[in-house]
Amino acid sequence: MADDKPDIARWVDEGAKAIGLPIAPEHRDKVILNVERSLMIAAPLLAIELDDELTPGPVFRP
Amino acid sequence: VSDVLSKSATAAEIARAVAGGKVKATAVVDAALKRIEAAEATVNAFTDIVAERARKRAAEIDSGLHCGPLAGVPFAVKNLFDIAGLPTRAGSKINLDGPIAERDGALVRRLEAAGAILVGGLNMGEYAYDFTGENAHYGPSRNPHDPTRMTGGSSGGSGAAVASGEVPLALGSDTNGSIRVPSSLCGLFGLKPTYGRLSRAGSFPFVDAFDHLGPMARSTADLALSFDAMQGWDADDPVCTDRPAEPTCARLSEGIDGLRIAIAGDYFARGAEPEAFEAVATVAKALRATKTVVLPQAAVARSAAYVITAIEGAQLHLPRLKTRAQDYDPDTRERFMAGALLPGSWYVKAQRFRRLYRVNVLKLFEEVDVILAPATPCTAPKLGQVMMKLAGAEMPVRANLGLFTQPISFIGLPVVAVPTRQAGALPIGVQVIARPYNEQAALRVAAHLEKQGVCAATPA
Repeated sequence: MADDKPDIARWVDEGAKAIGLPIAPEHRDKVILNVERSLMIAAPLLAIELDDELTPGPVFRP
Repeated sequence: VSDVLSKSATAAEIARAVAGGKVKATAVVDAALKRIEAAEATVNAFTDIVAERARKRAAEIDSGLHCGPLAGVPFAVKNLFDIAGLPTRAGSKINLDGPIAERDGALVRRLEAAGAILVGGLNMGEYAYDFTGENAHYGPSRNPHDPTRMTGGSSGGSGAAVASGEVPLALGSDTNGSIRVPSSLCGLFGLKPTYGRLSRAGSFPFVDAFDHLGPMARSTADLALSFDAMQGWDADDPVCTDRPAEPTCARLSEGIDGLRIAIAGDYFARGAEPEAFEAVATVAKALRATKTVVLPQAAVARSAAYVITAIEGAQLHLPRLKTRAQDYDPDTRERFMAGALLPGSWYVKAQRFRRLYRVNVLKLFEEVDVILAPATPCTAPKLGQVMMKLAGAEMPVRANLGLFTQPISFIGLPVVAVPTRQAGALPIGVQVIARPYNEQAALRVAAHLEKQGVCAATPA
């Protein structure tokens, strides 16, 4: 559904504001492109379901 | 045995000759420095040469001050390793304004304790976020087999320096494939050990969850020699294992008897150029491996490795991205920025999946000891090439050279990349993958393939 597609330009602009990351106008298009690519590459991970019991394998040892 | 002062000499040959008094370490170092001077215009492997330090060290070895299994062996390190007295570039311009290293990185110290001699720091993709070996600040490292082509990265200078014969041994780092990709494209043997096996202390980080350090060389014996010298717990790296060192040299010539070897199917058998699969088939045939195993959800593993890399890498760099964005390599800057904007929920999900994938892949190792997979989906692309054709589909070069390496480093499995080469073609590597802490098995397989003449680092 086309309506479900995020507005990545807005995501980049607002997200950058939220974390205080200035993005120069000449860098903005490539940042948007890379967030688009990230969405594509992350898709297989985002599509799967994990059991609630599955926690990360920690490395930190107190 | 080749002339130990020539570019084809291996670390083992040099160490034997130096220890046996047949050649002076000073002569070995002088010969290496001359080769570097001659080859640099072509391969652009080095960013720093520590000639004075190397000559001093060599003189100490010749006077009997140091000895060891790597006596007199010149080596160089990717410039994310600390070298005392130099800023740790990590491929960047920004780090030149950073602190000067007070002492060498842990692995540099261990190699020198074994008699090896550091000659310099090597070019790399900026902050290791790279599979190409290209670098906007220092120029690309160039493939000695065809200088119009990429070395692969991010340990590109390490690949170029060893393949060109400048040095017999180099250290690199591998987060998603940065030792295995240049080993494949430059036709070298490369070892990415088990995650946590070798200390990362005194090296500039990229993605703590996946960062590994390891050697690249022109023979399996040199990988084993250097690996054995570098093993052992180090309090300065919280991830470094406290398991006792497991030396590999002594068992290298045992052959492959008793090792169950399989070929990775499914994800690892599609989406690449024919030469990648031909390389696996050649190696499998020599090993008489016919069984195929499927690493379950390898595509998800690659996806999750990408997410963890993007987010951890970006988080590390966020303060600099805010203040010095213009000083980043244009090929890393916007990728880091994009990573800083990805949701935290992706990261945690990727880490949770990592545990599941680990359990499932370790189950495979109940039935097999070694798994074979392509190292890269193709031979070296042209320098500056942005897109490439893989199995008929146009794909970005940068993101896809590590297609087959990412799902393996994701769970820290040890891998030896072994080089193959068809007549008239460029080299391409195969991953020899073993269960955690079983570097021994992968090295034995590599040594066997070398002995059979199936895998060799061909002269550039």
